[in-house]
Amino acid sequence: MKLHKCLKHAFSMVMHSKLRSWLTILGIVIGVASVIAIVSIGEGMQAEMESRMSTMAGDILTLSAGYSRGASMFGPPGEGGGDRGGGSGGKATKESEKIVVDKTDVQALKSIAEILLINPQIRGNANISYMGQEGSVSVTGIDQKVWSQITTDNLKEGRFLDSADKNVIVIGSSLAESFFDHPLGINQVLTIEGRSFRIVGILDDDSRSIYMPIQAAYTVIEDKDMDVYDSVTIKIKDEDQLNETMTKIEKKLMIIRHVTAKTKDFSLTSSKLMAATREAMLSTLNTFLLAIAAVSLIVGAVGVANTMFTSVLEKTKDIGIMKAIGARNSDIMLIFLFNAALIGLVGGILGIVLGSILSGLLPTLFGSTMMLRGGTLVSLNSVLLAIAVSVGVGVIAGAIPAYQASKLKPVDALRYE
Amino acid sequence: MKDTLIALDGVWKIYKMGEVEVPALRGVDVDINKGDFVAIIGASGSGKSTMMNLVGCLDLPSKGKIFLKSKDITTLPESDLAALRGRTIGFIFQQYNLLQNMTAFENVLLPLELQDMGDGKASERAKEVLKLVGLSDKMHNRPSQLSGGEQQRVSIARSLVGDPEIILADEPTGALDSVTGREVIETLYRLWKDEGKTVIMVTHDLHLAEYAHTHIELKDGKIIKIAKNEKQKKPRG
Ligand SMILES: Nc1ncnc2c1ncn2[C@@H]1O[C@H](COP(=O)(O)OP(=O)(O)OP(=O)(O)O)[C@@H](O)[C@H]1O
Ligand SMILES: [Mg+2]
Repeated sequence: MKLHKCLKHAFSMVMHSKLRSWLTILGIVIGVASVIAIVSIGEGMQAEMESRMSTMAGDILTLSAGYSRGASMFGPPGEGGGDRGGGSGGKATKESEKIVVDKTDVQALKSIAEILLINPQIRGNANISYMGQEGSVSVTGIDQKVWSQITTDNLKEGRFLDSADKNVIVIGSSLAESFFDHPLGINQVLTIEGRSFRIVGILDDDSRSIYMPIQAAYTVIEDKDMDVYDSVTIKIKDEDQLNETMTKIEKKLMIIRHVTAKTKDFSLTSSKLMAATREAMLSTLNTFLLAIAAVSLIVGAVGVANTMFTSVLEKTKDIGIMKAIGARNSDIMLIFLFNAALIGLVGGILGIVLGSILSGLLPTLFGSTMMLRGGTLVSLNSVLLAIAVSVGVGVIAGAIPAYQASKLKPVDALRYE
Repeated sequence: MKDTLIALDGVWKIYKMGEVEVPALRGVDVDINKGDFVAIIGASGSGKSTMMNLVGCLDLPSKGKIFLKSKDITTLPESDLAALRGRTIGFIFQQYNLLQNMTAFENVLLPLELQDMGDGKASERAKEVLKLVGLSDKMHNRPSQLSGGEQQRVSIARSLVGDPEIILADEPTGALDSVTGREVIETLYRLWKDEGKTVIMVTHDLHLAEYAHTHIELKDGKIIKIAKNEKQKKPRG
């Protein structure tokens, strides 16, 4: 019998099949849907990671006070640590004294040859006003001599700060464009904690941040002690020596701060390194989820095999009849294989639809969690793969029953009731 | 000169039921000529169906040889046997054996599809034989929507559609009342008389056996009588 005739008969078999076939198809649907959902979430995460990684410089380190073991992997870089790490040694000799990063540390860093630039910075909130409107935004004080060389941000307009600058600022584009009723532009004057600052540059980002010389920042941000920094950004000379340089810096700081690896009271992090670790963790998690989804697909396959065995049994008489009127073993085999493949195909297509809906819903359900920030991505590849896999699963699961059907002896099959 | 179409040569069929061996045929020798109308008769359990299944290539003998058009079918590969069943032999069963999910037309079409006949030609031929058995108006009915006699006519149409040389009918009237049964036998008679088919049928009913040209009588797996039917009946009208 010609292939398309076998397909036609297989198709009519599926159409005439009972509820059981549809339940089997449901098994495949669930398997494929979960694979699709997980793969698309994974690809969304991957895309998000990649876009973030590309903006990260591999030669930038951040030093901050405090240390927590297994520093929060998922927090944004620079916020890791905090003041959870209370070490007993170092500068925190007195109970009341806070663990800080200060001028002494920066001095020590300057003696390390592998370091190219050091940018100590402080950060805090400040009240701002412009043309009668008020608000509160984040203000960062930076070392204007090195900031332009160390930052990963780009300028949209104007210029970065330079050494001679005193009461001037660079602001984020969101602050410039939409914070106040009137957009802020270059050379306009903004009042921060009662002092006037002139805008010299606007960053090409979405932030509402203000960057100003650190000396000025001490005067507008509350509760900041001179020469004590919230964090220090370090640019190293050789990106390829990242790990070695980090070790070297850590050693030096541990000596200066009189701490050991156990009592360490500072964190030195590389955002790129952290991102890489995070990516590796997510991909492990993703593989794990995928494995679970694959298991459900296997369960679906077992369902197909089961249905096919039952169906062969049920159709024994028909197989006998078809053989009596001239069907070859290969005809019977093909009809049953096509039948299984069709169950797989229908299951696969419905599974893709369900999976796409699911993966579209997940980000809205768990919107703010870190993993789904990038949304999901149902790619053509995963769709094609899912169809191939589900048809393949059908064929593999149907192979043994189909072979059994084809090997039935005509007399025995005909006698079957 | 008569040419032999089917020859059984020392044929044994032994069914194994676990340890027990049941000999259904015990050394059957018979030649069936081309163009003969044979009725196989005998008591229940004498081996009639077993012999039909062997002749129809549905089963293979335990011992002995079966020649169909001088080819030994016991040595043929499966695909050749399937082709023989499809092209040379047409089956009519006691229980009609139609595929329940298909219409009468589709049932009749199926043998031609299996033989890879072109769609147009095949459907024309199927309609032709359905007309021959008088079922043109019911060809889109499923078997469940047909009477027993009509179903058997569909099954006759199916056996004829591939224009086989041999028609095998195992108790074709077994499930029908006597009037319908007679009609079926008369159809077989005409196929033999008018179309020149070789017809072999199994029947319990000695009245119906009278339509045949040759009688073969089986008893306990052996042929006890092969004889020309001297008083062959003809259909009325
Ligand atoms: N598949 C089988 N397995 C075991 N024994 C079988 C099988 N088929 C037939 N037999 C036995 O072989 C013998 C002949 O059976 P067969 O069906 O050929 O008889 P029959 O002449 O057609 O009888 P009936 O007129 O009742 O149809 C019987 O004794 C039967 O029990
Ligand atoms: Mg019988």
